[in-house]
Amino acid sequence: MEEKLGLYDKIFKPRLITLSNGKTVMEKKSRAPLVILVILAATVLSVHITGFKFSTIMKRGYQFWDYLFRMFPPELSYVNSIWQPLFDTIKMSILGSLIGALLAIPFAMLAASNIIKSKVIVVLTRLFFSITRTLPTLVTAMVATFVFGLGTIAGTTSIAIFTFSYVGKLLYEQIETVNMGAFEAMESMGCTKLRAFSVAIIPQIMPGFIANSLYCFEGNVRYASILGYVGAGGIGLIINQTIGWRYYSRLGMIVVILFFTVVIIEYLSMWIRNKLVGEI
Amino acid sequence: MIKFDHVSKIYPNGFKGLKDVSLEIEQGEFVGIIGLSGAGKTTLIRTVNKMHDISEGSLIVDDVEVKNLKGKALRRFRRNIGMIFQSFNLVTRTTVINNVMSAFVPDLPFWRCLFGIYRKEDKIKALEALDNMGILEKAYVRCDQLSGGQQQRVALARTLAQDPKIILADEPVAALDPVTARQVMNDFKKINTERNITVLINIHHVDLALEYVDRIIGIAAGKIVYDGPSKKITEAILSEIYGGDLSKVGSASELERHD
Amino acid sequence: MAKIIRKEKNNPYRPGMTIQEMYEARPKAYLAVSFTLLLMVLIVGWSSTALADNSSTSSDGAAVIKSIFYGLVHPELNVLFDFSRQGLPALLLETMCIAFLGTVVGAVLAIPFAFLGASNVVPAPIAMIFRTVVMAIRTIPALVYGLMFIRVTGPGPFAGLLTMSVCSIGMISKQFIESIEDIDKGILESLDAIGCNVFEKIRYGIIPQIAPDFASTLIYRFDMNLRDSSTLGIVGAGGIGAPLIFAMSGYKWQQTGAILLELIILILIVEWISNKIRNKLAHGER
Repeated sequence: MEEKLGLYDKIFKPRLITLSNGKTVMEKKSRAPLVILVILAATVLSVHITGFKFSTIMKRGYQFWDYLFRMFPPELSYVNSIWQPLFDTIKMSILGSLIGALLAIPFAMLAASNIIKSKVIVVLTRLFFSITRTLPTLVTAMVATFVFGLGTIAGTTSIAIFTFSYVGKLLYEQIETVNMGAFEAMESMGCTKLRAFSVAIIPQIMPGFIANSLYCFEGNVRYASILGYVGAGGIGLIINQTIGWRYYSRLGMIVVILFFTVVIIEYLSMWIRNKLVGEI
Repeated sequence: MIKFDHVSKIYPNGFKGLKDVSLEIEQGEFVGIIGLSGAGKTTLIRTVNKMHDISEGSLIVDDVEVKNLKGKALRRFRRNIGMIFQSFNLVTRTTVINNVMSAFVPDLPFWRCLFGIYRKEDKIKALEALDNMGILEKAYVRCDQLSGGQQQRVALARTLAQDPKIILADEPVAALDPVTARQVMNDFKKINTERNITVLINIHHVDLALEYVDRIIGIAAGKIVYDGPSKKITEAILSEIYGGDLSKVGSASELERHD
Repeated sequence: MAKIIRKEKNNPYRPGMTIQEMYEARPKAYLAVSFTLLLMVLIVGWSSTALADNSSTSSDGAAVIKSIFYGLVHPELNVLFDFSRQGLPALLLETMCIAFLGTVVGAVLAIPFAFLGASNVVPAPIAMIFRTVVMAIRTIPALVYGLMFIRVTGPGPFAGLLTMSVCSIGMISKQFIESIEDIDKGILESLDAIGCNVFEKIRYGIIPQIAPDFASTLIYRFDMNLRDSSTLGIVGAGGIGAPLIFAMSGYKWQQTGAILLELIILILIVEWISNKIRNKLAHGER
């Protein structure tokens, strides 16, 4: 029984168990106590730092519902002022998702180690993806408003950046797990890398790519509602206004409309994704 | 001893799984049950530990009337009967030894059960069961990293750790390739002869059954149509079991080569 | 299987066909393809009207980007290494704590929804109802939750963590539902045959199956919560978000650079660790 011992096993020595027929087996010490200890410590620290108090929730929790109930009944007549910003949000999401997803394709190709043999390019592109993914949407949206001015362009840009990083990462992971046989066959017939990629790899990754992009689009509609806060257009703008002016019943109307929009979009995209998976 | 006395089983939807089955199986026998799918092989095996209830007749296992068992008594009764499944039914996300030790769970005190802390003798027993199946070296590996044959051996080790008197196996080799299937059948044979455990095995491959099993029970449409030593099986009997359609016999061509 | 059968159904081949007939009988997809394309062009065209109303394009966009990059490369060092209670490292720790506890509380809240929304645990209509409730919870923007919780706890990290936990319910319960619906019932059967009671079946049949998935989901959610933490700043709910947004709206690019740099490094490290752990959970311990 030759096994490499990690640091943990060097500190907590494995136990030897001897069977009745003289064979021995090494039982490594369980990691569970350590994991539980770390989680407990982190919880205690977090409770301390954030000032989490259960009693506060019990005592003042009604305020939460109070706020919620003020939104109902929603002001139905306000609905006419919602459509325009809502459509703006949807438009931003569609366009942003589309641009981001399309941009992600060439970069994902560069980040796939089975397509690009140069390690430097692969690592650099991946690092680029990672860093764009860490940028909070709100920050990119704010920067975009500085660059493009207030409005939907800023929102679209920020959504495109997020989609780019999210879809791109999934895409290069997908490319790497693809069956390379067809790609090699095309190369052996004298195709360039690009052409072999488009004939042999793209059909394999297409369904997954579209599904991921749609999934991202769903999330973007939801996300887009906060973009309004920094002036990046869409429904967030009027959410912000109604909150600022304390028109709770109007806020309720926005939430109701947003709910139905999200439900419709989610089912629509689920339907498309199922159709895609079914057909290929 | 397992004794079926005029046992019938009718499913809630009216389908008759077993029709007036009478059988006696002595301790230590190695019995193969063959028949078309849907003939009642699985039903027959599952009535023995009351995974299925019987509708009529009586079924006595080691002097216990099975149909009267329930709750705690049933669970205690099941401790003595091992069961092997076609799909292995292991928790693939955890280690081999944890799977084997789940055989001890019903005997653990509550706090040990809650936290999953096993006694040292349980661990050794589990390891010995694994050693018996020749996969000791996989004890601390996660189950999803094993091949199908290895997983079925883990399931066998789990059953051995239970120290049963009877092992019921429902198509244990159907999901395995021919070579592995043979290895697993060898394991069954070994358990049967070394420990005098009764083994009831549902099997689809007639050639494997004839090769390993001592006694064959042929079922067609819920009725027993043959019960006797595997050596006396002829093509006529097979054709009766399989409803005259020998093409449905699992690799009948191989059978011809054997005879 | 269904896929294969359907493909065969569409197979136009009939015995005795000539090559010419086979060619004529080829599946013709022009209509479907051109319709899809037309639809896409229309949708994209409609969406791009959003770009028309760019109210005030500032001319110095390039200058802004330049100063941001300058700030990232030249972060304010005294901000970077200010170890006081109001300093950046302390705020980052606070952010991590909000994200951590937010994930934990979110998980506790999500578990009932997950079990009641799994179609193999409760009847389908009930599962449907609970999934809709989860969808409704997800719809309310984080901003609104933030304001609601500030009324309960007052501004600060406590409100932030409550906001974060409620915003986590949607994704966590969705993932949990998937792993619950994936449970292999065969294992319960084999435990039945061993003679286990209900509690033992849950403890040894169900928990070992779902625990790795649950852990993996939670680690991933912690990752996401850390990223989303900047959102909390705008509602005054603690963490690194507020100073980041103040620095940006005040055009203090070197300060912004310092905050972003530390946040990015932290997120990258956490992501690296979380990927490692999740890989281990998915593919085995060793």
